[in-house]
Amino acid sequence: MLAEVGTSVVGLALAAALYAAFAVYKSIRRTDPRWARSGHNGIYAAASLLGLALLLLLAAFLGDQFEVRYVAQHSSRDLPLYLKASALWAGQEGSLLLWSFLQALFAALVVRGSLDDHRGWTAILLSLITAFFVGVTLFLSNPFALLDRVPADGEGLNPLLRHPGMIFHPPALYLGYVGLAVPFALAMAALITREVEGWTQMARRWTLASWLFLGLGLLLGARWAYDVLGWGGYWGWDPVENAGLMPWLTATALLHGGVMQEERKGFRVWNLLLVIFSFVLVLFGTFTTRSGMIQSVHAFGRSPLGPYFLAFIGVTLVGSLALLYTRRSLLSDPRSMDGFLSREGLFFLALVLFLTLTGSVLVGSTLPTLTEALTGQRFEAGPEWFDRVTGPQFAALVLVLGFCPLFGRAAQALTRLRSRGWPALVGAALAVLLAVADGLNHWTSLLGFGLVGLAGGTAVAEIAQGVAARSRREKEDLLRAVWSLIRHHQRRYGGYLVHIGVVLMAVGIIGTRMYPFETELVLSPGEVVDVGRYTLIFEDLRQEEAGDHFSTYAYLSAYRDGEYLATLTPRLDLYFGSDQTVGVPAVRAGLREDLYLVLAGYSSSSATLKMFVNPLAAFLWLGGLVFLAGGVVAVWPVSAVRLSVPQARRRAVRDGVALLAMFLLLTAAGVAMWGPGHGVSAQQTGRPLPGQPAPDFTLSLLDGSALRLSDLRGNVAVVNFWATWCPPCQEELPILQSLWAEYSLSPEEALSSTYQPEAVFLGLAYQDQESLVRATVARMGLTYRIGLDLDGRIARAYGITGVPETFIIDPQGQVAFVHIGPVTAEQLRGELDALLGR
Amino acid sequence: MEGKTKFVIAGLLIVAAVVYLIVSSTGSTAHYFLTVEELLAMGDEAVGRNVTVSGAVLGDTIVYDASKPQVTFTVVQVPGDPKEVERAGGLAAVLHAAVNNPDAPRLEVVYNDVKPDLLQHEAQAIMRGRLGEDGRFYADEVLLKCPTRYEEEIPAQVEGP
Repeated sequence: MLAEVGTSVVGLALAAALYAAFAVYKSIRRTDPRWARSGHNGIYAAASLLGLALLLLLAAFLGDQFEVRYVAQHSSRDLPLYLKASALWAGQEGSLLLWSFLQALFAALVVRGSLDDHRGWTAILLSLITAFFVGVTLFLSNPFALLDRVPADGEGLNPLLRHPGMIFHPPALYLGYVGLAVPFALAMAALITREVEGWTQMARRWTLASWLFLGLGLLLGARWAYDVLGWGGYWGWDPVENAGLMPWLTATALLHGGVMQEERKGFRVWNLLLVIFSFVLVLFGTFTTRSGMIQSVHAFGRSPLGPYFLAFIGVTLVGSLALLYTRRSLLSDPRSMDGFLSREGLFFLALVLFLTLTGSVLVGSTLPTLTEALTGQRFEAGPEWFDRVTGPQFAALVLVLGFCPLFGRAAQALTRLRSRGWPALVGAALAVLLAVADGLNHWTSLLGFGLVGLAGGTAVAEIAQGVAARSRREKEDLLRAVWSLIRHHQRRYGGYLVHIGVVLMAVGIIGTRMYPFETELVLSPGEVVDVGRYTLIFEDLRQEEAGDHFSTYAYLSAYRDGEYLATLTPRLDLYFGSDQTVGVPAVRAGLREDLYLVLAGYSSSSATLKMFVNPLAAFLWLGGLVFLAGGVVAVWPVSAVRLSVPQARRRAVRDGVALLAMFLLLTAAGVAMWGPGHGVSAQQTGRPLPGQPAPDFTLSLLDGSALRLSDLRGNVAVVNFWATWCPPCQEELPILQSLWAEYSLSPEEALSSTYQPEAVFLGLAYQDQESLVRATVARMGLTYRIGLDLDGRIARAYGITGVPETFIIDPQGQVAFVHIGPVTAEQLRGELDALLGR
Repeated sequence: MEGKTKFVIAGLLIVAAVVYLIVSSTGSTAHYFLTVEELLAMGDEAVGRNVTVSGAVLGDTIVYDASKPQVTFTVVQVPGDPKEVERAGGLAAVLHAAVNNPDAPRLEVVYNDVKPDLLQHEAQAIMRGRLGEDGRFYADEVLLKCPTRYEEEIPAQVEGP
């Protein structure tokens, strides 16, 4: 029932969108505003109907209506509520419906209340684009399609998609994709109506917001890959990632071109080309993810959508380029351009670089098809190819970014460079020095760090100079000056913040790309292994059942340079329904580098782990946050003109709602990405490692006396943590007793005049009761010193995570040996013989 | 020089440099995309070259040594052309037919890494690596797809670059 209603609602939405296009066209032909109003109502109706359809689909998910095929394929009864809701866009059908809804909603927001021809044509184009997506949803990919036989339970959500990032990543990308249709429609309408100047200004907020959400989507996707896919990386130049990157690059170029068009009335053809490319690349991206042509983790399955999208792309590209060609006389730019060393010249270089980058990524993504057509031989581009091709271009962009704020008109370029160039030099020198001090001294990376420092230095100096100047001029304190500068020059200072974010991200990219470290470890429980500066102790493997899957956790305490860092718990989830295993990595993030562990497999006697060290990875996420913050500053709505009071109040309410929504989305996304730890917990202290001083303690022994560890200096101490409730400990006690008998000095030896170090055995009962301890000591006939650590103070100082654990402390009071779990006589003998020189 | 010409030349120079980068990188780092049959047909010529090869996994041949870790398995020829796959009834059918065809060309694969979760009978393996002189394929990277399990073909598993 619900499904039939859903299908009809989508059908009505299609009719409404088509009617809207027709009615608005009619109003333009007849210059009759009634038709326009009617057309607008059509758009509102389409948006409302599609919103209703989304709600119906949500209801189907929440109500476990598995007769709906889409629900059956992406949900199951035991799925948590938030995942049921996000399963709405886990598959192709649902995400197309969401897409259609957003497209209609944006169309409604754009056309609202305006009746001129330019807005009219914008409305027509957006209605047609909406109609295309609704039509595809309805006829080729209906989310309300029914199954012949109703299954008892759904297939569940793909385990890889059960990550908080997956709640926000797709909608953020869709908001960006769908939003880019608006500047496109505004630009094409401008060409149709021959009003070619003002569209960039109208489109600016849309472009900015779409660009921001696209960037957010890309970041969330990268973080998801880092958190879930477990290969230690965040960007694999996967064709689907590339599909999102390309329109983002062209949209970035468009933002910069728009600035030039507003400042100097230049770059008009550029901007039109960029807006066309951006939209076509969005369509191309959806085509590649949905056509089944490309193999990727992010891709949807094969579907019959390919040819339709290809046709739509063809029509859009040919139509818009033809339109551009017919209007070329309006676009000619008679001014001569300023020199290269001017703001205009650098903007030009940046635009060229953004386009060549987009072209390179496009070529790389389609290399097999391209090379097959050209040479008959299929070549495939891997990450190495992309790094080599795009690396120098990104570096050149960072260079341009670093110089751009320094230049105005070409004539003053050199004087300005001399007077204001020093922060760039300082930044570059500082970055290179820091990198060398940190040991990251490969020459290409130093070049990269130098460029990054140069750009960062300029951006920081620009902000600082602006703030200082304003504070002097307006007699404002510094904080106040920052605030008013941002308020009055949002776009400029938002832009600087974005640039700083990009610079920080570049640091992370250079670090992780140029100095990756990866190794595989096969560890048995209790094993201690040194890898570079790190020491890992494999503590334990624990398993638990959690709903529809079975989790295996590996506990590893990690030390760097002998200092306890954290306990990492990578895990492997086995899902019952699908038999699929998903490894969830543990990441110990640090400013200098991330330690990243993946549990790849396990047996009863060992665990196989992959260990990655990702230098400077934190800068990537930090830069991402700064980047997003800068974007929000730039897109923050502030009205330049004075409005009447009721107008202003309405505007304030609207802006408030928009802001709140954006703020909530960004915060939620930020928390999802950067919030809770990723399989990392820290105890107060870790164990002392071999070679480190053993923490001193005073132990009350069963015979009533007390013993200080430091009093045993000169002798070898065997410190064994045990408990009466621990079966492996019981097996270990006789071994300790017999070794004690073997290694303790006979009375004659003790009395002899030459000093001989002795092996002293200490048993520390952990979380135990005195009566039980005494009973066990009596039953086992233990004669070495046994004490009680009832409050666990000593156990905490030694960072033990369970019993038994055994430490051997050398005559100098330093730890010589650590063992987790039951220890064998051979192991102890080996260590004791070495220390006692026997 | 006329203002605009200068810019056109600069733009063309950048484009030329990027084209050079693309062409040279394609020559040096791109992988040949081959089927098992094509790879075997190249014989010694293929030894040591960067190659991406795709085939159907034979479940019985998977041997995993977790202590190294190393996994070896054999893949069977599947057609590389998507249209041919389509004609033969889709990827699932092609994979099923391949593993049951004793005459189809086979290739032994050595992968010095942890055994991927999705490495199993009738999975499609896409492997990047080089053909060794011993006729075995040494993979740096293995990408797997199991089309039969999900109607949607996700998830392929990504292995690190």
